[in-house]
Amino acid sequence: MKKTGAKIFKEVNVVDCGSQTDRKISMEEKAPTIPKRRQELLKWNGWGYKDSKFIVNKDEHVEFTGDRYKLSGHVMPSLREWMIKTIGISLDHRVQSQPELTAADIPAPIKNEAFLHDLRNARISHSDDSQDRLFRAHGHTLHEVFILREGRFSRIPDLVVWPTSHDEVIKVVELACKHNTVIIPFGGGTSVSNAIECPKHETRMITSLDTSQMNKILWIDEKNMTAHCEAGIIGQDLERRLDEKGFCTGHEPDSMEFSSLGGWVATRASGMKKNVYGNIEDLIIHLKMVTPRGVIEKSCQVPRMSSGPDIHHFMLGSEGTLGVVTEVTLKIRPVPTCKKYGSIVFPNFEQGVDCLREIAKQRCAPASIRLMDNEQFQFGHALKPDTSTLFSSFVDGIKKLYITKIKGFDLTKIAVATLLFEGTSDEVASQEKRVYEIAANFGGLPGGEENGERGYMLTFVIAYIRDLGFEYYVVAESFETSVPWDRVLDLCRNVKDRLHRECKDRGIQFPSFATCRVTQTYDSGACVYFYFAFNYRGLTNPVKVYEEIEASARDEILANGGSISHHHGVGKLRKKWLPQTIGDHGTGILKAIKEYIDPDNIFGSDNLVSML
Amino acid sequence: MESQSRNVWIKEGDPSKLGALYKDGYEDILEERRHTSDFRWCTRSRNVQFYQYRHPRNPKQIKDSVLSSDRVQYAIEQVIQESGTTPEETENQVHSILDEMAHNLNLSSVRCLAYVLTKIIKRLYRRIYVNEEGIDTVRTLIKEYPVLLMPSHRSYTDFLVMSYLFYHYDLPLPVIAAAMDFMGMKFVGTLLRNCGAFFIRRSFGSDKLYWAVFTEYVQTQMCNGDAPVEFYVEGTRSRTSKSLSPKIGMLKASLEPYFKAHCPDIMVIPITVSYDRILEENLYTYELLGVPKPKESTSGLLKARSILSEDFGNIHICLAPPISIRTFSEGKINRHIHSLSPRYIASLTKDEEVLLKDLAFVVILTQQKHAVISPWALIASVLMQKTNGVQFEELVKDVEWLKRQASNCGAYVDWPGNESPEHVIRTRLLFHSNKLTISDEDLVELKQISPPSHVDNKTSKDTIISTAAMHVMTSLYRNQLLHVFVRIAMVTIPVNSCLQETLSINSLFEQYTFLETILSREFIFQPGKTREDFNKVLVLLQHAGGLVIDEERNIKIKQSVNKYTTFMSIMFKPFLLGYWVVCQYLLSLAGGNLDARPLARKAKQMRIETQQLILGLLSEGIIKHYEILSLDLIGNALDSLVDMGVISREKRIQDIYFVPQCAKVSRIAAKIESMTEVPATHITDFSTFIIRTVTAKL
Repeated sequence: MKKTGAKIFKEVNVVDCGSQTDRKISMEEKAPTIPKRRQELLKWNGWGYKDSKFIVNKDEHVEFTGDRYKLSGHVMPSLREWMIKTIGISLDHRVQSQPELTAADIPAPIKNEAFLHDLRNARISHSDDSQDRLFRAHGHTLHEVFILREGRFSRIPDLVVWPTSHDEVIKVVELACKHNTVIIPFGGGTSVSNAIECPKHETRMITSLDTSQMNKILWIDEKNMTAHCEAGIIGQDLERRLDEKGFCTGHEPDSMEFSSLGGWVATRASGMKKNVYGNIEDLIIHLKMVTPRGVIEKSCQVPRMSSGPDIHHFMLGSEGTLGVVTEVTLKIRPVPTCKKYGSIVFPNFEQGVDCLREIAKQRCAPASIRLMDNEQFQFGHALKPDTSTLFSSFVDGIKKLYITKIKGFDLTKIAVATLLFEGTSDEVASQEKRVYEIAANFGGLPGGEENGERGYMLTFVIAYIRDLGFEYYVVAESFETSVPWDRVLDLCRNVKDRLHRECKDRGIQFPSFATCRVTQTYDSGACVYFYFAFNYRGLTNPVKVYEEIEASARDEILANGGSISHHHGVGKLRKKWLPQTIGDHGTGILKAIKEYIDPDNIFGSDNLVSML
Repeated sequence: MESQSRNVWIKEGDPSKLGALYKDGYEDILEERRHTSDFRWCTRSRNVQFYQYRHPRNPKQIKDSVLSSDRVQYAIEQVIQESGTTPEETENQVHSILDEMAHNLNLSSVRCLAYVLTKIIKRLYRRIYVNEEGIDTVRTLIKEYPVLLMPSHRSYTDFLVMSYLFYHYDLPLPVIAAAMDFMGMKFVGTLLRNCGAFFIRRSFGSDKLYWAVFTEYVQTQMCNGDAPVEFYVEGTRSRTSKSLSPKIGMLKASLEPYFKAHCPDIMVIPITVSYDRILEENLYTYELLGVPKPKESTSGLLKARSILSEDFGNIHICLAPPISIRTFSEGKINRHIHSLSPRYIASLTKDEEVLLKDLAFVVILTQQKHAVISPWALIASVLMQKTNGVQFEELVKDVEWLKRQASNCGAYVDWPGNESPEHVIRTRLLFHSNKLTISDEDLVELKQISPPSHVDNKTSKDTIISTAAMHVMTSLYRNQLLHVFVRIAMVTIPVNSCLQETLSINSLFEQYTFLETILSREFIFQPGKTREDFNKVLVLLQHAGGLVIDEERNIKIKQSVNKYTTFMSIMFKPFLLGYWVVCQYLLSLAGGNLDARPLARKAKQMRIETQQLILGLLSEGIIKHYEILSLDLIGNALDSLVDMGVISREKRIQDIYFVPQCAKVSRIAAKIESMTEVPATHITDFSTFIIRTVTAKL
């Protein structure tokens, strides 16, 4: 799940990249931020940290708790009205989550005693504690979280193992093969494709292989600007620890607080700043994957080679169907000296898209550039906190602009682009100049730094706010796609229209909320990210209705020339569209690879292509 | 009356005093105009709601966007490469195509026209009824999705009345695809352009530039929802009042944006405009008989002024429930197929074309379903079977009977419930007194009609022609009813002509299929629905028409031949007879020798020669159905035989020649003979006959 933005941490260290001589740095070991017993820090039935959530306080205003984020401890006075007006919630109608599930509510584990016996002898950490298993039974799709809040899982992992090294993973996989048990790799648990859900009809013992204890940065090679890491390290730890040495990978998916390096590889992740640093496939120099056949890896760490089809691409996006990624060598960069946010206000979404396309064409996009449609802008407006000086000009800035400079802009039509520049201060200054010049040709006016920064905050807030929605009969979800430039506008309009119409056709009584942003740009197209929510009061099966609607939206996306997914992956949720996306022979190839690597379906998560 | 307590809440207690402003879901939009100032109405402010995603543009901006579109630019490049014209020449060509095509819709012209039109319409018509529910639906839809209006086409008035309607209800004024006929008219051409008409050539084959400009022009307006787009799927005005086979070119161009995902959906609204009396009844009649229609001209229009003193009764406009192209194509079409090439280059897939053809038929059948049948259409149907006149009393009985049958088939008959049948029928007879007489003995008879001014003296004096004119004109109104009964007749005809005691369902279906095939240019049948239609009709006939089917699924002929089945069969007899004569004509081209190679003829020549032959047969009294003389019927028969592969088309130099395949023709003739009574004449007689009549004409 690519949720949390860059500026989520309380402090951002901009470390001056020192002038050391190039050398290989070995790193000390540190405990991961997310503990082995995840339940001690994270919510059991929602997104993120236990201490951070949206609540409706005693004054009936929405407030964000905790002390972790910039928004923590603040009240957002207009959010309640926005929720009432936009999705039709009512504070009088609440639905509470069920109490925390106990061992009695969770299916008893299937035990393969021989496997357990061998595992114990191998001295590999493992547990069949019901909470440990439950925490690794799901990702964060609506369906999964709804089960946590109101239902029961019919199948969850029977065991959790925590290997601490590549060699231990080899051992676990060997044992699984020997005893014919299933392995489902688990990284950060932020999947939004049902990829870590256990197949319902699997009768063999299922082991969740939690990589979180493989979190070491094994070495940093300054000469080649690479870092060799264990795949279980999560994004925030990776960047924080590289930062201590003056480096970064620059890979910042919105989920980086929780998601793991191995998970990025397995899903073909994309980072917010890919314009400078590239997506995960551009960052990888070397990979190790443990499979039932043995270890797959290349014998060298070269920047590029011509050696037939790139075997890295069998592993990238394999979604746990072939093996476990254990170690990754990544490109690193010096931490940029200058980081600056910015924003552009456009009279409408169409002109914004035209501008982004031009910026992409001229290849001068900053590290990140995103364009929010009007609905999302309004949403941002509603998130304005009460007192903080930090947020004082949240939308007032735009309002001021509106009055002074951009008369004629219609606040119900404008679209806002948020920008993040990185580099030396000179580089940033010249990039800014060029981008704002282009924007001017499309009627875009600079909207200030703070509006930009806040735009990025929005993406992480949304992940938390969904849990508040649940309390008021609102189901919400995000999904994404990639699409050629010539179809971006049509796709955005048609998909939103389709969502609203499907809601209407299904008798949903309240206005539905659909919004999108162009969240990544490429030479030939863009990535579009949708948020969708509706108030299900009066419906008996909201999840089913939601899933039908999302499926029709995906149909619409494909009809509009969009893809099955830009970076969320296929998992089980989008399997049905894969054959039409890659063709019969395409699926044939995937099956053939699976057949060779894992003939007994040890990695039986059943993602991508069904082997039956 | 005063003492009735219900008077507290009743406004008008005496039903006979109620006005006719409202009836059965319809509302008269003319009534208001008769009491208020036309001027104020035409200058009032209009609160119009448009398509939600529309960017407002004026006609000039629309043209500019067409010129700069990828599609047109691409076509220009192609043409430059292929034909070696210079870029300037090519651009100029595009400009002139666009100037010839584009509308110039502007509100001030519309207001002017609305003013004049109100005056004219109020003189010509009594009431214009519109179904309010349809208007309400359109009003909401127009905000949500691009809208395609598809009215039936029976008169020039259609176009004016539709725009008038949209003006009346404060709906966005439609832009209308019109044929080039009007464009040449001085002043009128410009006026129509200003009111939203855009002009499309009838055929433009492989002219790449024209295709590109036309497609882009239609699609850009569709996608942006500048205005609802209106066009006639029948392609031209139906002169016979029967629906014409759909032309799908314009439908393809307008709906393509949905398949290419340019817009979220498109709403197709079939509309039926039903007339009590058609403005062009006289012109159509003579046109069908072969007197060329006068070219559309402004002076001609002015000459037609006299028409203003006549009474054309009511118009009924029914906006049928919209058809969403998304819903219509759900599960049948996968639009992602268009992902692999630029959308302005690729065209629709075969599947999509098939679907749109299907849709076109659905639209026409929907128009038929919502047609408002006037009592006069019932009267005309009876009169066509009693060409020697009928007693008023008997007429009333027959019409009432027919009305019930039509209603049983789902037709909507505009029959005032608060009047006696005698009154209804007598007022309609008086209303159409230009076509009939009522003697002192109450004998109702068709009478000779006065020909329009462009018909020359010799033609108008010709007794056969003028008798035919009288029949053809009445048939225009009977034809309004035919779509209701045609499927029934296709069952009753084989039943009534069956010589055995029983007829199996299978062989009945075989004959039904034959009739559907041969009549498919004459009537509208949804392709692929033959069996379904047939089964429905069988049930209907069993319930309402006295058809008897035994346990072995055989039709019992004796019990099944009755007034009902006979009436239906007779109603359609002229068509079968006409088709039979066409066959005889074709056979005569080989001198009656089935193995000989027949003479080839151009289509037009064939039509004229067949008409000559019929003329001869009528004058000798061999046949008595004058309406067969209609060139429309002859043309349909020939086209249908081409469709069936009975006539082959041969291209010689520039022209297409028709060559009949005599063995096949004679089989078809024999089949028709087995179903209906034909004159006992031999083919050879026909050939000499033709020679005689043709030379006589010369």
